[in-house]
Amino acid sequence: MLRKTPSSIFVCLLFAFNLQAQTSKVDSSEMVTLRIDPDAARGAAVSQIFDEVKFIPLETTKESLFGSINQLRTTKDCYVIYDYDTKSVLIFNRDGKYRAKVNSTKVVADADEKDKQVFYGFNLIKNKDESLIRISSGKNYFFFDLDGKLVKKVAVGKRNTLDRYIKFADSLTTIAPYYVYKNGKDSTNYEVAILNDKKEVGLYFPFESDRFDKDQYMGGGNPVTDYGTDNELFYIRYYEYNLYKIKPKSVSLAYHIIFPASISIPQNFMDMTEYKKKRVEYFEKNPNQIYGISNPYLIGNNIYFKTNTLGWSQDKKNALVYNLKNGDLTSLKNLEPDTLSQFLPVTDGGSFYDFSNHGFHSYEDGYLYTSYSSLAMFSYKDLNAGKERKYDPILTKFFETQNKKSNPIIIQLKPKKN
Amino acid sequence: MLNFLKIVLALAFVITVNTASAQQSKPILPGATKGILRDTAHNYVLKSATVSVYKLADSSLVSYQISNNYGEFSFKNLPVGVSLRLDVSHVAYQTLRKKFTIPNDKNFIDLGTLIINPKDNTLDEVTVTIPPITMNGDTLEFNAAAFKLDSNAVVEDLLRKIPNVTLWGDGQITVNGRVVKSVLVNGKPFFGGDAKVATQNIAKNALEKIQVYNTVKDKNNPLDSTLTVNLKLKKGKELGYFGKVGGGYGTDHRYEADASFNVFSPKMQLAIVGASNNINKSLNNVNTLINNSTFKGVGTNVEYQPDFRASGINQPNAGGVKFTYNFVEKPSWENKNTVTSSYFIQNTNNDFVSNSETTTSINTTDKIYEQNTNTSSNINNNQNFDAKYELTKKNKALTISHNLSRNKGENTNETFRNALNTQNVLTSTNNTFNQSSFDNSRFNFQVDFRLSQNYMKPKRIKGVNISYAITVNDNENNRSNLTDFTSFTNAASNRRFDRRYETKYNSVYQQINLELPNLKSLFFGKSELGGIDFQLSNSLNLNNRKDDNQVQDLNTIANSYLNNAYLSNHVETNFIEETPGLTITKSFYKSLSNRYNKNLTLNFAPKQKLIHQENKSQRSFQNITRNYQRFMPDASINYSDNQYGEYYKSYSVNFNTKVRLPSIDQLAPLTDSTNLYSLQRGNINLREAVDREISLSINHYDQTNKNTLNYNLSMTAGFTNDQIVDSTFIDDQNRRTNFLTNADGNRYLNFYGDARKAFKFKTSELQINLNSQISNTKTPGYTNSLFAFSKNFTTNTGLTVNYTYKSYLALAIGQTYGTYRSKQEAFNTEYSGVNKASTLSSSYNITKKFTLNTNISFNQSSSSNADDINFTIWNASAIYRFLKGNNAEFKLSALDIHHQNTSIINYGSGNSFTVGSRNVLQQYFMATFSYYPRQFGKKAAVKK
Repeated sequence: MLRKTPSSIFVCLLFAFNLQAQTSKVDSSEMVTLRIDPDAARGAAVSQIFDEVKFIPLETTKESLFGSINQLRTTKDCYVIYDYDTKSVLIFNRDGKYRAKVNSTKVVADADEKDKQVFYGFNLIKNKDESLIRISSGKNYFFFDLDGKLVKKVAVGKRNTLDRYIKFADSLTTIAPYYVYKNGKDSTNYEVAILNDKKEVGLYFPFESDRFDKDQYMGGGNPVTDYGTDNELFYIRYYEYNLYKIKPKSVSLAYHIIFPASISIPQNFMDMTEYKKKRVEYFEKNPNQIYGISNPYLIGNNIYFKTNTLGWSQDKKNALVYNLKNGDLTSLKNLEPDTLSQFLPVTDGGSFYDFSNHGFHSYEDGYLYTSYSSLAMFSYKDLNAGKERKYDPILTKFFETQNKKSNPIIIQLKPKKN
Repeated sequence: MLNFLKIVLALAFVITVNTASAQQSKPILPGATKGILRDTAHNYVLKSATVSVYKLADSSLVSYQISNNYGEFSFKNLPVGVSLRLDVSHVAYQTLRKKFTIPNDKNFIDLGTLIINPKDNTLDEVTVTIPPITMNGDTLEFNAAAFKLDSNAVVEDLLRKIPNVTLWGDGQITVNGRVVKSVLVNGKPFFGGDAKVATQNIAKNALEKIQVYNTVKDKNNPLDSTLTVNLKLKKGKELGYFGKVGGGYGTDHRYEADASFNVFSPKMQLAIVGASNNINKSLNNVNTLINNSTFKGVGTNVEYQPDFRASGINQPNAGGVKFTYNFVEKPSWENKNTVTSSYFIQNTNNDFVSNSETTTSINTTDKIYEQNTNTSSNINNNQNFDAKYELTKKNKALTISHNLSRNKGENTNETFRNALNTQNVLTSTNNTFNQSSFDNSRFNFQVDFRLSQNYMKPKRIKGVNISYAITVNDNENNRSNLTDFTSFTNAASNRRFDRRYETKYNSVYQQINLELPNLKSLFFGKSELGGIDFQLSNSLNLNNRKDDNQVQDLNTIANSYLNNAYLSNHVETNFIEETPGLTITKSFYKSLSNRYNKNLTLNFAPKQKLIHQENKSQRSFQNITRNYQRFMPDASINYSDNQYGEYYKSYSVNFNTKVRLPSIDQLAPLTDSTNLYSLQRGNINLREAVDREISLSINHYDQTNKNTLNYNLSMTAGFTNDQIVDSTFIDDQNRRTNFLTNADGNRYLNFYGDARKAFKFKTSELQINLNSQISNTKTPGYTNSLFAFSKNFTTNTGLTVNYTYKSYLALAIGQTYGTYRSKQEAFNTEYSGVNKASTLSSSYNITKKFTLNTNISFNQSSSSNADDINFTIWNASAIYRFLKGNNAEFKLSALDIHHQNTSIINYGSGNSFTVGSRNVLQQYFMATFSYYPRQFGKKAAVKK
């Protein structure tokens, strides 16, 4: 209802009031409540959840050796990854063959810059025919092509938050996380702003600029996730079990998750002043309570997400898939390898750390991506010993020529939609 | 070496016999089974569940394992054709039980998929069997109840039963090859923290489970952590007592008596101990007594020998109390509040007799032989009272401690010395008789406060460490000395003294240390500074000492003691040492996820030392004020390489500088002429000695699970400039006058290495431990104005092999090999010697109650300049335990059966070497009775 009200009138009306008045109201009219008990999550065969499973060992050479995948994006021909250990971006062909690398030697600092040219990630700028890797370092953006060649260097000017902005397909609408709204001398911070051609269309979730000094916040990574549906994003807030949907015109509360009381935080947790600046302490005392959710993807009828707790155990069912149609709850750590996955686990959840730390790296063009180490892969292979397992030529060659210290393996998964 | 060979042969024989008998008594176990666990309610396989196999007939545990990532289990070595039972247990599931028999014809049975049902929360499941091992989160737990042991077994007997655990001969415990750094009981250190006190006393039946977990220091590297073992007691068993009362009497009036009583509750621990003996069992503090009074269980332990090596005859009497109170019942590294206090009193009588001959080269051709016979007896009374309070909260730690000790005693010493020249002609004798009494007291108080960074509330000052200590000493000594020097070449130089000394001193020593770590952000904000961080430190030492010496000589004419105006003196020394310092640190890290983690840290610490030394004396030549100033840089390089799942290696190189100041007794002493064989003279021109030392150490820890090899190596090299050395003048009557002078060229090189490896078999275990120490020194000195370097080379190597078979037999063989060589090129002399010992110790449980122990050691001492000395020490004992709980013990022991025990003096130093022997404890037979009162939990609870 409110959604349909002409926004101009709405904004004019509110302008007469205080600062809060610019704040847009979140639409919760279509909110769906999900009751989820992670303990009740069931297992499934890999082929019941995925249509395709592909293991892509990344080539190991002296040049291409890296630690683990912290960020992964794909293009038509390549995987682009960021490795924190070597502080570099590596580019591999879709078959895993090493292609190029960008490290600090290729990112040359301006003469007046003191700091070393280290970078902590990249943006993949996809245009029609070619994709460029954008690296933000010092006062510049460096653009590299997929062969690791520097294409251009552009001064960013004064550092701003623009590089976090997400453009929607209409090329006019922009989603601005942590937006500062200025009204004369006053300014207000918003967690999310929707801009249309740089004009504010909606301003959501105001916060005080010094909130991180005044209280403790525990998060689970990037609050904005792209789940592959055009003009839609998920947004997550601190200490909430809600999935907000960002669309070109508005932010709405799409899913409200209710967990069993024993693992939920008190409803008015943020208002409980006795825990102010003692949130971490609170969760140290209540290690099984979920402080937030992360990595949500809406794929067909399924919502993929992770629950975050301070107490940690390999057995904890914290990576879940909820089917909106039939209410099935599946634990990704308890998927059973079958012929589709060549009897190998599709994530290292439950025995190693990559999936627990990062969740899925991305969901692009209908595929989810995760990765695990050669150490993990060889230990899974050892468990299959004596069972006459047959591996495809790629893995057969991998097991013959590589060892526990080789580069990680990308696992490409095509999730079922129904 | 021949003896060693004999032992090896004996051991090889024992092992063969044992394996042979093992094969006869035990059937071969070729049976195998496998299966998959499945939770059909949740539709997945069950990982980390415990699968145990029991014999159906007597429910004895045959084997166990944890289901793997695919929910599978697979057993080998199960008995064939025998009814077996498989139990599957998991915290969240009902126990699954399945009977099966491995058929004789196939030796294999596939149990297929076993369905396990989740626990129904509304129904209380009666736990039928407790699984031997469980994974509880990241904690590995061994459940005591699952292991069937003798009712009198202790925790140590249980540990030996667990395949993942190795108990080393020297007390170290490893789990899956990794060293256990601390053993706790219900989360707290147990009676001083020695693992033995917990593992050899606590009844296995009082134990609920053994928990093994990592205390992670660095979350990025889960392998860089310390392993902790916690003994969780059963509910109701958190309070109890244990101890020992024992007494024995034997031939030659040998006796021993000891009592130890220890009470514990969840927060409190109290120990009361007392002991008396005349068989050289040393009693130095409360913990020694607690550690030596452990109950031990039913397994075999190679018994520790009474200290047969200790020289002299010692008769100690001692008693004490130790009290610990934990205000926090479950202390952690960030929350601890503990007070500890102890009182100890010790009274010791010692009698020493020694005979030795020292050969000293005085020039290239001439030598002097000094024959020395020394008899001394001492009475010593020592009292010690200390208390310590520790408070740790989050990032703050405060420690306050004090120590008060008093040492009183009397001492009588008689020495006869003869000097012979190169032609073996007696040139002089020097006989002394000393009697003294002393009363010393010492008080020490210390406060230490540490504040480290709170990562939740980052501040610019990252931390501070402050400590203050004060020590006050009050010493009083009264001594009378009779000296008779007779020369056979020059009667005019004969001397006789009858002198009395009354010496007192009082000293106050204060130390204030301040450290400000991680200062980069304070001065440079968020600037990276190339990864360099630094720390400021300051150390201030203040020392004040007042000496008052009154000396009197007997005037034979007046027949009374008259004041000795030269030696009677009053001296006050003030000493101020101020050391401001800076430490610059740079670290390099290199890590590759799931592959390795390497770290290189460079430290450079320039320090400036400012010293003021002031002496005020009644003798004007002792009024000396000196100031020293010296730049003293320290530096270190540390490197560690952690290859995940393979090994952890660390290397470190340290360089440091030390300065040694000449004391007033070295600069301007008052020379006491009674000691004619060693007259001390000073040298006012002495400079401070500067010692520069570089050391290297290498440690290797195996991270693989089977048959691990761990080793440590270290090497130290030092160079001293202006070393304060003796310039000795020796005349043909062996009268020596020692002047002091500075000399360059002092060098030393020390090496130490040890390696250990364990092999764990199904029913037996073999441990090998090798350690070696090598020292090479070059010391400058003057003898009769002739400058000479003494080169000394000594080595000590020990090899120990421990073998245990089930709980019946424990064997230990050891070989030590020590050499020394002393060489003076200027005198063209060289002395050398070898000390060797081979030992074989064994313990054999004939029945559960009856044990035989024996240990024998072959000793050989040879010297290039004297005849070889060989002797064998053979000890044996028979122990019988009785009463229901094995609480009473009767022991018959025969010690030094061959009556050969000897304490050999055989060493070289500088331009001399000494050989001889001392009096020691010799053959005796003793009967001992001991009673071990033990109770865990309330009595009523036990009967239930």
